[in-house]
Amino acid sequence: MNGGVRRLSFLIMIVAIVVWSLFPFLWQVITSFEPDADLAGSAPKWLPFPGGTLQHYRNVFVAKDFGPYIVNSVIVDVTATVVALVFAALAAYSIARLSLPGKGAVLGLVLVVSMFPQISIVTPLYQIMQRLHLLDTYQGLSGVYIGLTLPLMVYILWGHFRAIPVEIDEAAKIDGAGPLRSLWSVIIPVALPGVVPAVLLGFIASWNELMLALSFTTSPAHQTVPVGIANFTGLYNIPWGDMAAASVVVTVPLVVLVLIFQRRIVEGVTAGAVKA
Amino acid sequence: MTEPLSRRNFVKGVGAALAAGAAAPVLAACGSGSSGATATSGGKTTITFASAKFFAKSTIGQMVQLYNSSSKHVEVQYIELPTPSQSTQVHQQLVQSLSARDGSLDVFTGDIIWISEFAGAGWSAPLDSYFNASAKAAYFPGVIDACTYGGALHALPWYLDAGMLYYRKDLLQAAGIAVPTTWDELVTGAQKLLAAGKVSDGFNWQAKQAEVLVCDLVEFIGSNGGSVLAEDGKTVTIADPKAVEAVQFMADTFGKDKVTPRAVLSWDEEPSRMPFTGGQAAFLRNWSYVWSDAQDPTSSKVVDKVGVTTLPSFPGGKSTACLGGYQFGMNAASTKKSAAIDFLTWMSSPATQLRFATQLGLAPSRPSVYDQSALKAANPFMVSLRDVFTGGTPRPKTPKYSQVSLAIQAGVSAALATGNVQSNLSQVQSQIEQILG
Amino acid sequence: MTTTAKTRPGRSGGTESLPRGGRGDGSPRTGGHRGVAPRGKALLLVVPMLASLLAVSLYPVLRTIWLAFRNTSLEIQGDQFTGLANARHLAHDTIFAKAWRQTIEFTAVTTLAETLLGLAIALALARTFRGRGFVRAAVLVPWAIPTVVTSRMFSWLFDQNGLVNYVLVKLHLVSHAVNFLGSTSLALPTLMLADIWKTTPFMALLLLAGLQTISPTLAEAARIDGASAWRYFWRVRLPLLMPSLLVAALLRALDAFRVFDLPYVVTGGGPASSTETMSTYTYKTMFSGLELGYGSAMATAMFITEAIIAGVFALFIVRRLRQEG
Repeated sequence: MNGGVRRLSFLIMIVAIVVWSLFPFLWQVITSFEPDADLAGSAPKWLPFPGGTLQHYRNVFVAKDFGPYIVNSVIVDVTATVVALVFAALAAYSIARLSLPGKGAVLGLVLVVSMFPQISIVTPLYQIMQRLHLLDTYQGLSGVYIGLTLPLMVYILWGHFRAIPVEIDEAAKIDGAGPLRSLWSVIIPVALPGVVPAVLLGFIASWNELMLALSFTTSPAHQTVPVGIANFTGLYNIPWGDMAAASVVVTVPLVVLVLIFQRRIVEGVTAGAVKA
Repeated sequence: MTEPLSRRNFVKGVGAALAAGAAAPVLAACGSGSSGATATSGGKTTITFASAKFFAKSTIGQMVQLYNSSSKHVEVQYIELPTPSQSTQVHQQLVQSLSARDGSLDVFTGDIIWISEFAGAGWSAPLDSYFNASAKAAYFPGVIDACTYGGALHALPWYLDAGMLYYRKDLLQAAGIAVPTTWDELVTGAQKLLAAGKVSDGFNWQAKQAEVLVCDLVEFIGSNGGSVLAEDGKTVTIADPKAVEAVQFMADTFGKDKVTPRAVLSWDEEPSRMPFTGGQAAFLRNWSYVWSDAQDPTSSKVVDKVGVTTLPSFPGGKSTACLGGYQFGMNAASTKKSAAIDFLTWMSSPATQLRFATQLGLAPSRPSVYDQSALKAANPFMVSLRDVFTGGTPRPKTPKYSQVSLAIQAGVSAALATGNVQSNLSQVQSQIEQILG
Repeated sequence: MTTTAKTRPGRSGGTESLPRGGRGDGSPRTGGHRGVAPRGKALLLVVPMLASLLAVSLYPVLRTIWLAFRNTSLEIQGDQFTGLANARHLAHDTIFAKAWRQTIEFTAVTTLAETLLGLAIALALARTFRGRGFVRAAVLVPWAIPTVVTSRMFSWLFDQNGLVNYVLVKLHLVSHAVNFLGSTSLALPTLMLADIWKTTPFMALLLLAGLQTISPTLAEAARIDGASAWRYFWRVRLPLLMPSLLVAALLRALDAFRVFDLPYVVTGGGPASSTETMSTYTYKTMFSGLELGYGSAMATAMFITEAIIAGVFALFIVRRLRQEG
């Protein structure tokens, strides 16, 4: 009976967590299917039927031509995340595992450099990028995002690399693997519970970034999703339905990816490492 | 020097014309790419035009295309800045380009409140030599006043907007209330409707700590015969009795008069508009865009029930409408001024202003356009705005307007939220005096 | 040469310190006699990261500090060295002081709440149950929604005519709509709530990852020893989790200190500057007011405060690390 109560309270907790996390987003989903007339009313309409419409999705993809923004975001953010992951993994491995002189200083520098607010960074960065002709390019924005997500990734990976038992390193060394090889085939797989959040959080940070994207890109050929959504509002009118549709389009694939990604890899590998 | 470049620039020019409105080269890149004072494209002079992104039935890019196809001597490369709803970003990007003084940008559009700032910094070119007194007389005097700094014309009028009073004509008629011409009449009328349970909000306006607060402030204070800054641009009058009285009234609307919800302190244009078009409010102070929203059957519950008039005033004062809208400017460092002026003249011509009105919903700054039958047919409401614009006043004209505005926003918001009007306004006065030096 | 007993997967180790072995700083035990090569290699691996970071941040950071001592303003075209004039101006700037206080308040409350909530969620998700993958993905959603949308969503949700007031009035919890965003006392807490909703997934994800690196055999061992769930958490998991928790909390605190989008979009810093944060005030000063010198001084003040916060955290983290090794 005690177990039953505990299980019930656990279930309530899980439901509470899901509702708390999902409710506003579900509200967005509903809004994206409701016609403007219903959205203007004072009483909320809880379900989008009858009278549901696909007009907002049509607006987003056809009238506002949102597709290119998504493509741009994917290109810029995936590139930035992958490159940042590689650099961060190398650096975190070195700090956590190898005899790097001045580890504390390096870690401190990584943190210090990330402490200035973006506002103060925008203008000087703009000048540099202007001179290097990197404005309104994929490389330019990607490069900036790499610099932005590195501190977060380095710290997360460093924390997780530290926690791995040294025996695993040594076993790899006995097998004849050099530091890079052991990093790639041994450390990272074992540290995957840490690599996954690093990648996810780094990617989402770039995905949502607005200020720098607004300043450094000027054409729909290179502008990203946040810029596209910010430009939905011309002068005053906020197109709630269209914005909701855009945010659904932009968030759902991310969540689906996380669903697949997390389930398949994380549990499998951790279990394997422990058995070893 | 121009000969070897001409073919490359011709191709560039054609490409730009095709792509106008879509992908556009970056301000800087284009400046460094087409170096030299007289870059030409197949005989045409290319100039760069940057504007905030406006859109409706048509876009700015399409207007530019129209010009490009009709012009024999000038080719315009259009650069799209963020939407005017992100005005601080637009401001920042313009400033970045203008302060570099490299002539990479020739013409631009800017918010009416940036004109003094750009002029004082020497970034905008004076236009008096190109537009004489009679040319200027063709525009509303209020907007010409706003475009003038230090006695010289620094901007060419584009479109206008101003604050106005929207009201529920059906409710007023049914209750036998006359359209208010003084603020007291408005409060009485609103209270009557509230007491009868016809509406839940009496009078909606905007008091969010943002630029719109300064707009509303200028209207209230102006309608009492007061001002924020005196004519000389130096004497600060925001703590004078007439101004204090007006701000006290603003605080009273949600204080002792209870006609306005306290939420007004967090409201800008949209949150104040939605209850009105949703049928819950009796009176609304807002810009001209509300009209089309109110008449839109797919989203408004007050179709054909809305009337518009000029804002009320205090006894002895005159109705004041805060002028808004973007205007054209020419870069002082531009090396292709005659081409730029050609483009600006076209953009500000009566025919183009009519097109902007019918295609993009931007109200003309020339009184003559309001007489055109095409405008009457397409947008009869806009024709009625002529009277509102005639009484339009600009916000304080000073090169340090941005800093002054921030001080006003913080101080007046504090005055309204705490109710200590005189002390907060006095503080704002000393802050502005410090800023102006 | 054996060191302190280290737990190895497969061997019961009771309540040992974090399975690590070797010296406390992470360097392998063997390596003393390798000479230059390993150090060189180690340095090489760090170079790409340092190069990217410095390329993106070095010039902007140096320029900000440089400008902090000048009166550079794009409007007046002045650009002179003015020493500590900006600092003196800051000291008398009442709104700056207000923004500083409010930002500290915001940072403390949101970081604490997000850490506690995130921990609770992480603990729940660390258990195996059916549908765990779905719940994990659901938990991430608030963080994944574009910030431009979240800010607008909250400004509508908490408006006088928004959903929250609708529900509160319908459920008779209040007699009339609450003025959340237009009230000098409620606006900042409302923004804190919005931030907590949005950012708890960040902490939950990091803490969950931290929990997952704790070997499950420790759980078995503790159970065998007869420890209750609470004891197990307090004595075993939490101490092991502490370094990850402190690092995550540090990262979160620094981010919270720089909060910009929420206050700027939702309330504009008002009413009466009650939601003005360091970032919004610096943004207004630099982008609207075009005072680069004064704004840079503000950014530098932000940096100094963040450095102090980081320093405090670092003390705790280093102490934790020493305790283990």
